[in-house]
Order: sequence, then C-alpha cells, then structure tokens
Amino acid sequence: MDPIKLKKKILTRNDHIAAEIRDRFRSSGVSVINMVSSPGSGKTSLLEKTLGPLSTELAVGVIEGDILTENDARRIAMTGVPVHQINTGGACHLEAAMIRDALAHFDLDALDLLFIENVGNLVCPSAFDLGEGARVTIISVTEGDDKPLKYPAMFHTSDLMVINKMDLLPFTDFSVDSVIENARSANPSINILQTSCRTGKGLDGWMEFVRSFAAG
Amino acid sequence: MHELSIAMEILDIVEREASDHGAGRVINIRLRIGDLSGVETESLRFCFEAIRGEKDATRDADLIIMRVPVRIRCAPCAGEFEGEGHLLRCPSCGGLETELLEGDELNILDFEVE
Repeated sequence: MDPIKLKKKILTRNDHIAAEIRDRFRSSGVSVINMVSSPGSGKTSLLEKTLGPLSTELAVGVIEGDILTENDARRIAMTGVPVHQINTGGACHLEAAMIRDALAHFDLDALDLLFIENVGNLVCPSAFDLGEGARVTIISVTEGDDKPLKYPAMFHTSDLMVINKMDLLPFTDFSVDSVIENARSANPSINILQTSCRTGKGLDGWMEFVRSFAAG
Repeated sequence: MHELSIAMEILDIVEREASDHGAGRVINIRLRIGDLSGVETESLRFCFEAIRGEKDATRDADLIIMRVPVRIRCAPCAGEFEGEGHLLRCPSCGGLETELLEGDELNILDFEVE
C-alpha cells in the first residue's frame, strides 16, 4: 500500500483552537500579550509594575501559568486586577485549550487587554500559539547574553524582547550589545526594550508599547 | 519536554487518519522537523516510543524524522543560503535583511500501513 499522505502540521489542533480564541478576542475587542521567559527573569514583577498604572486607564485581566502553586496569581491579585491561575501540573508550557477553558473566568466583552504569563521556559512555549496578538520574551541580565543563540525558536516567534534587571548590569559580564545582536540573528525584526523593575528604568517605554498595542 | 505533547498529537492524528482510510497497523510515520522548530529529535523519539503502545494502530510504528535546515533568502545578496546553525544571518554578507524560506516546520508528511 502506498504511504498515506498527510502533509499536515502536527500542532493543527492547537492552532485551530488558537484561531478560534483569536476570533473571540477580536470580536470582544481584547488585545492579548503572551509573556514568555526562563524562570526568574521578572515576568511577574514587570506585570506588577504595569498593572497599577494601566488599570486606571484600561480594563486588564491576567492569566497566570505555572506548573504548581498560586504564588504569582496571589501577587497579581494584590494589584486588584482579575486573575486566573492555570496549573499545568507538570506540563512545561500553556496550550490554546487551557486558555480557552480559562476564558470562562473572565467577561471578555468588558476587557481591553489580557496578559498571559506563560510557564517559565524558553523552549516549549515557543511552539504553542495561544491566540495572542503579541509575544514578548523577557530576558534578564543575570542570564547569558547568548540565550537567543541557544533558544532561537522563542526569539524567532517573539515581537519584542525586554532586557530586564538592567540595574544589575554593573555586577555581571552580560553584554547588551551581544544580546541584541544575537536576538536579531534569530529574528531580524524583533523590537527591543531595556528595563529595571527595581529602579523603574525603561518602564515608560514598556508602558508605551503596551498602550499602543492595546490601542490596536 | 513539549515533545510529549507533540508525540501525543502525532499519535492522535495518525490513528484518526488510519481509521478514516480503513487502514491496518501503521509501520512508520515520516515527519519533517525544522531546526528552528524548537523540537529535540531524540526527546521526541523517546516520548513517542513510550506512548505508541496506547493505540493499537500505532503499536509498532517507527518515526522517520527528516530534519530541515534553516534556509534563508538574503535580499542584498539576492541569493538563497543555508542559515548557519539556527540563525537567520546571511553567511555571505553577514546582514539580517533575510527571509526564512524553511526550517520552522513541525509537520507529518505521511505514514505507511501494513
């Protein structure tokens, strides 16, 4: 018997669900940002800094993804923004079906902007479309500046790279020029921002990105 | 370890298609996996072998994995190149005005049945 031809994407099912929720986001007027990084780069801290000022202007929600614990969701809840925790129970990434289920906890028509904080992992989340409009990779200066060379798929699929913990730069041998060059090698059109959640450096640029993305 | 999710999807897709075709046991499944897809070949093989027995149709199926190198087109050089490593930098001029032609695939090409 001849081989049965499929010529099909393996993640077709995830992609279909992602397309379905992307349509729901569009018809409800919700802009969605998927935040990815290795563990400990400062995703939750960046969100904490963002949500306070933003929630006076826009209706914002957060989906928190973690393998275990609700620690991050508790931190986000302190900002007064509606948050729903997804515990993957071992899985190293969020999938579109998990986001679809989590949407039952939000009034989408009342939301302007939804952040998804993915599981801390620079490999696996890159393959899974969550229906987001923008994917943001956060990298901190305490990591190697060669991360984009080691994990090119993540940087290739991201719209923006945020270089965080810039206040620690003098204490490291991290090269900002190298990380930018390396990120562009994986994605020539990637946008780049430099921030410190501790000192506030660069947060105005980040807020500008978020506001302009939410405005469509 | 998203290779486990990917292995599960492969099994689901192939089992469904085999059943739709009224086919018997699957002998092998051919995949095209790009170097920029983020998938580790050996890890995928390990996960697939661990779970293929869950479905009758795929119990003895082997994976045949074809890696697809990153291929880019460089606008200034007007040429097509294999990206060095996973990178989209033009190996000729060093520039980044490149377009990805292939290398991010995560596809099932076909499968053979008894």
